[in-house]
Amino acid sequence: MADPTAEFFSRIEEHGPDLLPAKARGRLRFDLDRDGEVEHWFVAVNQGNVLVSREKREADCVVATEKELFDKLATGEAQVLAAYNRNDLTVRGNLPLLLVFRRAFPSPPGTRDPRERIRERFAGRRVAGERERRP
Amino acid sequence: MTKPLVSILDGNTFVVSDNRGDIDPSPTFPTGLFSFDTRFLSKWELTVDGNRLNVLSVDDLQYFESQFFLVPGEPTHYVDAKLSIIRHRTVGGSFVEELTVLNHEDQPVEVTVRLNVESDFADLFEIKDVREKVGGTTVVVEEDRLRLYYQRETFRREAIVTSTAPAEFDRHGVTFALRIGAHQQWQTRLRVETLVEGAGGRDIRLSIQRHQSRSPEELREDLDAWLARAPKLSSDSEPLTETYQRSLIDLAALRYAPLTAGPPLPAAGLPWFMTMFGRDSLITCLQSLPFTPELAGPTLRFLALAQGVTLDDFREREPGKILHEVRYGESTAFEEQPHSPYYGSADSTPLFVILLDEYERWTGDTELVKALEHEARAALNWIDRYGDLMGNGYVWFERRNLRNGLENQCWKDSWDGISYSDGRLPAFPRATCELQGYAYDAKMRGARLARLFWQDPVYAERLEREAAELKRRFNRDFWVEDGEYYALALDTEGGQVDALSSNIGHLLWSGIVDDDRAGKVAEHLLGPRLFSGWGVRTLAEGEGRYNPIGYHVGTVWPFDNSLIAWGLRRYGFRHEAGQIAEAMIAAGRYFGGRLPEAFAGYDRALTKYPVQYPTACSPQAWSTGTPMLLIRTLLGLDPHGEHLVVDPALPVGMGRMELLDIPGRWGLIDAFGRGRAEHSRTPPGLME
Repeated sequence: MADPTAEFFSRIEEHGPDLLPAKARGRLRFDLDRDGEVEHWFVAVNQGNVLVSREKREADCVVATEKELFDKLATGEAQVLAAYNRNDLTVRGNLPLLLVFRRAFPSPPGTRDPRERIRERFAGRRVAGERERRP
Repeated sequence: MTKPLVSILDGNTFVVSDNRGDIDPSPTFPTGLFSFDTRFLSKWELTVDGNRLNVLSVDDLQYFESQFFLVPGEPTHYVDAKLSIIRHRTVGGSFVEELTVLNHEDQPVEVTVRLNVESDFADLFEIKDVREKVGGTTVVVEEDRLRLYYQRETFRREAIVTSTAPAEFDRHGVTFALRIGAHQQWQTRLRVETLVEGAGGRDIRLSIQRHQSRSPEELREDLDAWLARAPKLSSDSEPLTETYQRSLIDLAALRYAPLTAGPPLPAAGLPWFMTMFGRDSLITCLQSLPFTPELAGPTLRFLALAQGVTLDDFREREPGKILHEVRYGESTAFEEQPHSPYYGSADSTPLFVILLDEYERWTGDTELVKALEHEARAALNWIDRYGDLMGNGYVWFERRNLRNGLENQCWKDSWDGISYSDGRLPAFPRATCELQGYAYDAKMRGARLARLFWQDPVYAERLEREAAELKRRFNRDFWVEDGEYYALALDTEGGQVDALSSNIGHLLWSGIVDDDRAGKVAEHLLGPRLFSGWGVRTLAEGEGRYNPIGYHVGTVWPFDNSLIAWGLRRYGFRHEAGQIAEAMIAAGRYFGGRLPEAFAGYDRALTKYPVQYPTACSPQAWSTGTPMLLIRTLLGLDPHGEHLVVDPALPVGMGRMELLDIPGRWGLIDAFGRGRAEHSRTPPGLME
């Protein structure tokens, strides 16, 4: 069965430098609870590079939540700050580090580039700037 | 009877009550104790022997402190009080009320003092549209406290009421059965703590230093230090001195620490906007840089941290975009509202680059400019990519959140804020003129940053080329030939949304106006259709939608006027800038020096005083910043390398003005100006 959380972490390990600011640095741990069993994801961010392991190690920022919710964060179906405001996700330690890491979470599924939609709507029509100057 | 409201605040914790100090639930105006967008007290009603009290006087001691002197009995009767009651309250993290009952008789009295207490835990978004709460409120009576808490799934908010004097708590409040000796008094200190719960039931604000309850003494010291750091103004114009002092204090009051910790940032306005707004906070920082530069750095850092990286339609988020609004309440937490954060504004992103540059020019803080290079470049990229929705070199907006996104994502964000001269509303997307000005300015300033601090002259040249090209096209496409002014916006057909509006004044500030057209723009701004005598109207008289009491279609906004004055000064219109400053300062007198969010656009000849817009926020950050920017404009303050240029142009009759200890990269500098008896005007169109 597909594991969105595992896919998410493997993706950020690969694409970390594209997703995170070059100067980002710190250690995060995600403690994900599934029916009382907790799995750990340890993420070391160093200048945008990301190393992921499954260890329960000391971290600057520890995020605890349900595995089910994290699967949704991993696919963009849920949003980390709203979850934090709901208290569905708890944070100990350096909260700004989670805000930096927030950038690694994807857009909601099915999100399209707004410019594409505009291009489709105005396809075949001339738009401002392309016209000749009116008399 | 409607009683005047009294507010005290500390950051985004604030109390709004009537002038007796009572809180009665009101569906239309947010009375109550609020913190982090949640109402923690919706009733706080004092009675003595079952009777409500009457007010003798109210002292607004500080922004975080007020005092009410009360007596029992009806106001229609001759009041011969045997008792008087003093409520002294402060807010500083938690809400504290010191209640004193004085017996003026020469014999003991027995009285029952009671406070009725309720909380509806309404989200600020629900006040105007009260709904059934999804979660449940529980009241727990303990021996020494009353606990009210609200729970919806894992979301929990709690108010805890305690008293220093012995009290009987019940489900609806607290009672004190007293016997007070002859000429004696009784006193208690009531405290209401507001808990926003996070991990393991801990208050998620505990890590925020600012929100560990601060005592009034600490708040007083903090305010004194803030005032001591600010430049000292001395002037022959009493209204100017008054409004400057008021502004400094109000700006101190509006500082708040967001949940991410760190130093305080300016919140946008009491009571509806006690949170971070990208546009409002950036403009407030621009206005106040010469006076209180400590706000700008943390604001830039916070906005950079929250900058968009991915797309999100509900929140209107895009890569590189700077946020519009942050909220912490229930409706945002449960994603009924998009403010976690919401990115629905097309101007906050260029304004972010503009402030970063202006901040460096004043403070010389190159560290921050280097630290935020990535974010500033991402913001500049946004202008050309996601900002340019139509792909034709202008910044456009169209909402993607059709449920509760903003239609107009510019500062005139009410639904009818952007219209043609005949009153029709244009289709979307819309490209308002001031957005193009901000984009131009952001590119020019970005070029300076790239050349001086990012060691990227190629990028700098590209930005300058793009800016010049934008200015050329803008002057071709937006200029309304017949009326000789710039259109309010372009529509999707490339047609001009041709209403005459205050937005043209922002264009002067940005520098996008061709020199030979500036004179006409200035003429319109000070002409009878736009200038009311109290300031420049948002929309000109005679336009289809003009309404002197329409929020963005005829009222006068002080912050708008401060940017316009700054713009006039940039193009050499010293006299006209002074005229606007003078009008604003005169208007401020009618509000005790506190300029409101907006006032009516009636002609000054018609109303002898400026009429406040009915639901205007006050204090509001960018109105608070207005006197500061006007002083900067009048004194002609502008950093030039390591120096501060002072080039005063005071209106006739304003007399002498001294601003001492202006902080900046030069250390501290004094500036002096004097309004001449006769005034010579600089020729129009001459750039300074």
